[in-house]
Amino acid sequence: MSRPTRSIPPAPPGGLGERTDRWLIAAFRIGVAFLWLENSGWKKPDDFSSLRHFTELAVEYPVVTPFTWIVENVVLPNFAFFGWMTLLLEASLGAFLLLGLATRLWAIIGLGQTLAITMSVLNAPHEWEWSYYLMFLAHLALFATAAGRSFGLDAVFRPRWSQSDDRVSKLLMRLS
Amino acid sequence: MRIPESPRDQAALVLGLLALISPVFALTTSSNNNFVKMEGISILLFPLIGLLAIVGALTSRAVLATAAGALFALMALVQLAQFGRDPNWLGGSGNTFSLLLALSLGLMLTSRFAPTHSPETPQPRKSHTPHS
Repeated sequence: MSRPTRSIPPAPPGGLGERTDRWLIAAFRIGVAFLWLENSGWKKPDDFSSLRHFTELAVEYPVVTPFTWIVENVVLPNFAFFGWMTLLLEASLGAFLLLGLATRLWAIIGLGQTLAITMSVLNAPHEWEWSYYLMFLAHLALFATAAGRSFGLDAVFRPRWSQSDDRVSKLLMRLS
Repeated sequence: MRIPESPRDQAALVLGLLALISPVFALTTSSNNNFVKMEGISILLFPLIGLLAIVGALTSRAVLATAAGALFALMALVQLAQFGRDPNWLGGSGNTFSLLLALSLGLMLTSRFAPTHSPETPQPRKSHTPHS
């Protein structure tokens, strides 16, 4: 039996209307996508020198002791690998949030990456801590509004996923 | 010119238009605010391949959107391999790769899996001949 496709909640009375809400949610999603997309530009292989500088701040100005230990003993000695993983992860965050595909999954991944960045640089000089709190809140909002259902590919695919009984479709319904 | 009705073609149209207008990023030259690094031959390739996707959407030929997606995927691989190195044929960076990834995934997935009828459009039913 197929499950009904859930949408975002209807606009409250006196609001701007559901269609306007959807446009605003889509604009918000695309804006957050460009945050990741643009910032994958300065993580340059092969040495990832700029990224390494910011990662070293986690050791120089510790935020959470276990995280600092991991950075010092695991990440920095294998930095080429972590540099590539960071580049691929953030480029994918930009791409998937821009498309609005599996948006709730990528919102959670964005929360995780924001947490890693926050634990690296929060105590460093000249950092505005609210940048990272706002990033965190932005991804929470993407998750809460299931932002890919507003003019994203989640809206395109969900009717098909909802009518399918296979496990992948059921999983994608949860992740979108 | 009519806007396509099927979600598949609408998605290809939007992604094609995004590629078509993406050379606008070449105007953002600040080192901190360039959104997507767009230089050299990319300024030509993005809109050309975007046009292919648009034609595919307007003529409802999914194969053209798939081809456009495949070309963007090829560009994404080249960009990923050459970014931060010399030569860098496409002249882009990680953000160029990210945009190429979105365009290639979007076009290939929608041309293959997106519904060809809008949910509001009644789909043709298989006719069942009543037993006489």
